Amino acid sequence: MKFIKKYYFELLLILPLALYILGFTIFPILKTILLSFQDKDTGALGFSTYQYLFAKKDFNMAIFNTIAVTLVGLTFQLVVGLFIAMALKYDFKGKGLVRSLVLLPMGVPTLVSGVTLLYIFGTQGYLNELLYRLGIITKPIAWTSGGIKNIFVIAFADSWKVLPVVVLLLLAGLESIPNDVYEASAIDGASKTQTFFYVTLPLLKPSITMTMILRAVDSFRIFELPKILAGRVTPFLATYAYDEYSYNNLNASAAASTILLLIIIIFMVLYFRFVDRGEGVKGAK
Amino acid sequence: MQSKKIISKFFFYLGIILIVLFMTVPVYILFRVSFAVPEDVLTSHPKFLITRFEFKHWEQVFKSGNLWPPLYKSFIVATLTMILALIIAAPASYAISRFDRKIKYAIILTLFFTRMFPNVGIALPISVTFLKWNLMDTNLGLVMAHLIEQLPFIAWILVSTFETIPIDLEEAASIDGAGRIRTLLKIVLPVAAPGLAVAAMFTWLNSWNEFTYALYLSLTTKTLPLQIYYYVLRGGFFQQAAYSTILTIPVLIITFALQRYIRSDYLGGAIKG
Repeated sequence: MKFIKKYYFELLLILPLALYILGFTIFPILKTILLSFQDKDTGALGFSTYQYLFAKKDFNMAIFNTIAVTLVGLTFQLVVGLFIAMALKYDFKGKGLVRSLVLLPMGVPTLVSGVTLLYIFGTQGYLNELLYRLGIITKPIAWTSGGIKNIFVIAFADSWKVLPVVVLLLLAGLESIPNDVYEASAIDGASKTQTFFYVTLPLLKPSITMTMILRAVDSFRIFELPKILAGRVTPFLATYAYDEYSYNNLNASAAASTILLLIIIIFMVLYFRFVDRGEGVKGAK
Repeated sequence: MQSKKIISKFFFYLGIILIVLFMTVPVYILFRVSFAVPEDVLTSHPKFLITRFEFKHWEQVFKSGNLWPPLYKSFIVATLTMILALIIAAPASYAISRFDRKIKYAIILTLFFTRMFPNVGIALPISVTFLKWNLMDTNLGLVMAHLIEQLPFIAWILVSTFETIPIDLEEAASIDGAGRIRTLLKIVLPVAAPGLAVAAMFTWLNSWNEFTYALYLSLTTKTLPLQIYYYVLRGGFFQQAAYSTILTIPVLIITFALQRYIRSDYLGGAIKG
């Protein structure tokens, strides 16, 4: 009661936002979870929808593809992003211009980045032409025809689009490391590689955690890029859920979404349990 | 020693050039295709450099009558989403920023966790409900759906904007006899205005680009992203490029104009651009 008295004005201001999130986010999610446990025909609670899904080859492929694209994409983004962020930490001529150009993909909508990469990875696209002119291939490669190649293409497209965000997050982390630390490690005679692995990386951990979590959540939910670049040959969980919806299998769609939510939660738990151990969040905030 | 330095400098700049090429070439190719002469790009050996321009696809795009309805719809939806998001989220964010640290942290974390939910999982019951409410294909329905993603996003940004406004300012106003609503409207909001404007523009962009909810909630009408997707499915090679260019231009302009505002707390709210 004291709380309400003290904060009545604040609570009044929050109310519309809280109601909206409750009504249009929390409630729909609960409804989806409930729907996924209902039988399509009888409406009885049970696992029949899940049995139906796990018997389907496409669905199992979707789970595999979703996890694979996240692992490949995140590794690539973290390595290349760190590399670019380290380069941008140095002072050099034209740094401002380079920084602006690195941010360029940020100004390109995700959907458009998919279309653009269609021109590059298409069978008659620019990558094949480049490889052909360099004499590496003689026949064009069908990059987007499904299978493992397609996962790499989508991971690449996703990485291109989000690299600016990754670079900015890591750069902010790098710039927050005080110079004294580097001076101290130089006085102790550490080599550049040693400094990187024993000084920079551990101090960068909060930024890396932030990046990994933001990216992993978005990457598991990947939707637009596969829709453009893969069609139905390479299903992902989100696109699979949409396909079931478009066939009017609402329960199956709900179950696919629920599995996706479960994967995201499992990832978070594992990450905080084994990689971060609770240090990162405190630092990130 | 001297030559070693030059070599390492050479590799450093080579790396920089590679990075820049990697980030810019795809955008170049998009613009290139949208102005290309068909024989230059629609072959098994497309040309890299622009030697000739052709505006025929652009003329077709403007004359076909397929451009204006989706452009108009995207614009209206993005603008309404922006305005409503500000009206709902700005007062709430102010209130959140004035709570105790503990409560504030809990609320911010809750906002963050709503981002974890898969949007296909939210879009499914929303579209079932909106079908019942006759909100399919309407601008209002799409605005309501876009608010689902944009409200936590804009609130996340605005909380940190309001946090920078010193509480002394309000105390001074209350000593002068201003009520809380008056203080909020006359003192806090004007000081926060630049931050509100930046957050609003990013919200506009997110809604302008949005694809998933638009796909779930549109049966006959199209937004600009849906129009692009339609041409991808149909294989309209040049239309894809032209419509994509149209969708990109405002995003590119706003992103670069607001470049210096993109700080890491904004990225926490996850600007996708």
